[in-house]
Amino acid sequence: MKIRTSEYIITEVFHSLKRNSWMAFASVGTVAVSLFVFGMFLIIVMNMNRMAVSLESQVEISVYLEDRLTDSEIKAIDKKINEMNGVNSVTFTDKIKALDIFKERLGDQKFLLDAIEGENPLPNSFTVKVVNPSLVKTTAIAINDFEGVETVKYGQDVVEHLFDITRLIRLFGIVLMILLAGATLFIISNTIRLTVFARRTEVAIMKYVGATDWFIRWPFMLEGIVLGAMGGTVAFIALRIAYNMIVAKIYDTIAFFPLIPTYPFMTYISIIIVCCGIVIGAVGSVISLKRFLKA
Amino acid sequence: MIEMKDISKVYENGVVALDHINVSIDKGEFVFIVGASGAGKSTFIRLLFREVLPSSGALIVNGQDVVNMEHGDVPYLRRGLGVIFQDFRLLPDKTVFENVAFAMQVIEAPRRRIQHSVNSVLDIVGLREKYSCFPSQLSGGEQQRVAIARAIVNSPALVIADEPTGNLDPDTSWEIMDIFKKINGGGTTIVMATHDKEIVDIMKKRVIAIEDGHIVRDEAQGAYGYEN
Repeated sequence: MKIRTSEYIITEVFHSLKRNSWMAFASVGTVAVSLFVFGMFLIIVMNMNRMAVSLESQVEISVYLEDRLTDSEIKAIDKKINEMNGVNSVTFTDKIKALDIFKERLGDQKFLLDAIEGENPLPNSFTVKVVNPSLVKTTAIAINDFEGVETVKYGQDVVEHLFDITRLIRLFGIVLMILLAGATLFIISNTIRLTVFARRTEVAIMKYVGATDWFIRWPFMLEGIVLGAMGGTVAFIALRIAYNMIVAKIYDTIAFFPLIPTYPFMTYISIIIVCCGIVIGAVGSVISLKRFLKA
Repeated sequence: MIEMKDISKVYENGVVALDHINVSIDKGEFVFIVGASGAGKSTFIRLLFREVLPSSGALIVNGQDVVNMEHGDVPYLRRGLGVIFQDFRLLPDKTVFENVAFAMQVIEAPRRRIQHSVNSVLDIVGLREKYSCFPSQLSGGEQQRVAIARAIVNSPALVIADEPTGNLDPDTSWEIMDIFKKINGGGTTIVMATHDKEIVDIMKKRVIAIEDGHIVRDEAQGAYGYEN
């Protein structure tokens, strides 16, 4: 494209925005509201995902040891587990401590333990955490084969269910995002269609004097981009305020709720929202122009 | 300049606008297309700049095959033509100068050439002093002169006019016709659809009469031939 043409296009966009300032205002408003809703869902889905991740990461493997093992044999197993790929931490719980914990958990009913009379039925154990929840199963199976390991528990059913649920949350989130993006695109291309319709004579004249489709398209596309970016910015500012308020409110009542901290999360959100605005504005105006460029 | 062979146009609603038309127009000719409303005049005119496509037949305009043209080549066909309408079709928020310059900006002409060409065509149509006026500040005749200036600013080989005097009083119409004569004098081919009996009769140019989609008359120095 020639420099004088880009100059022409930029002046066109500027004039058009000034001339149709009410239409521009309406478009920016529509984009802002749509992207605000979109962003709100994005934030909710991402928080749900984070909750899922934090639940997943709490999954541990309990390794119960045979009673006959000596201290040095136990240390050897400890070392062996620690050297495994993907193992984050290994904590040893001896059988006396395990019994204490068990008693504490029984509370008022700890008299039940009187029946076993000094005999400690609980084994020595390790609690193993892995870096990635998907490693739980393979790691557990591997440890189970170790010499001196009685049995391994990792809440198979719970883990499988949890993965099902988190997978569902992610899938739901993605589908929701796609639907909302589609709806937003539809609303915006309709709004831009109004500005294109208001200027259809201009488009027709441009065609009569031999303007190429791209020459006609550029100013509208750039206008769409400007409107989209402005709408995205407004939406992002509103989202930031809203998220800050929500975070403050929730931390007031449930302090340990695993919400994603504002920074740098909202910076990413702002980039996503403004980019969405730009893409939607550009695509929306091209869609709206299609009908007028056909003949 | 224009070679129409066996052209028919049937619209989607079944209306036959043109029925096997054959016309040849040479470079430098001045041709009136006459006929009653709905006879096919307008379709004939609009075929020339590919506003409508024929249903069958072959059409060469300015050396280009209009029928088998890619969508992307249409702008280049139109750059070799100037089109003028009954309703002027000016951009209301652009000045006279800007309206004319627009046709050159669109084809990405250099600014200095735009300045020069626009001023010279505004001289031809006699509106040099009104270059900064907006269309709403001009009379109908003046607006049509701006439209003519816009049509000829890229020095097209062919000017197509659809009822250019349809909205103008007789005196103003003659002013417009004088400009067309001037343009034609410079070697530009002109094809004009019109209802104006007086103009056709006095100008004594080639007249093609269309009735019900057929050419019923094609005379070198013809008359309007209908009662208004």
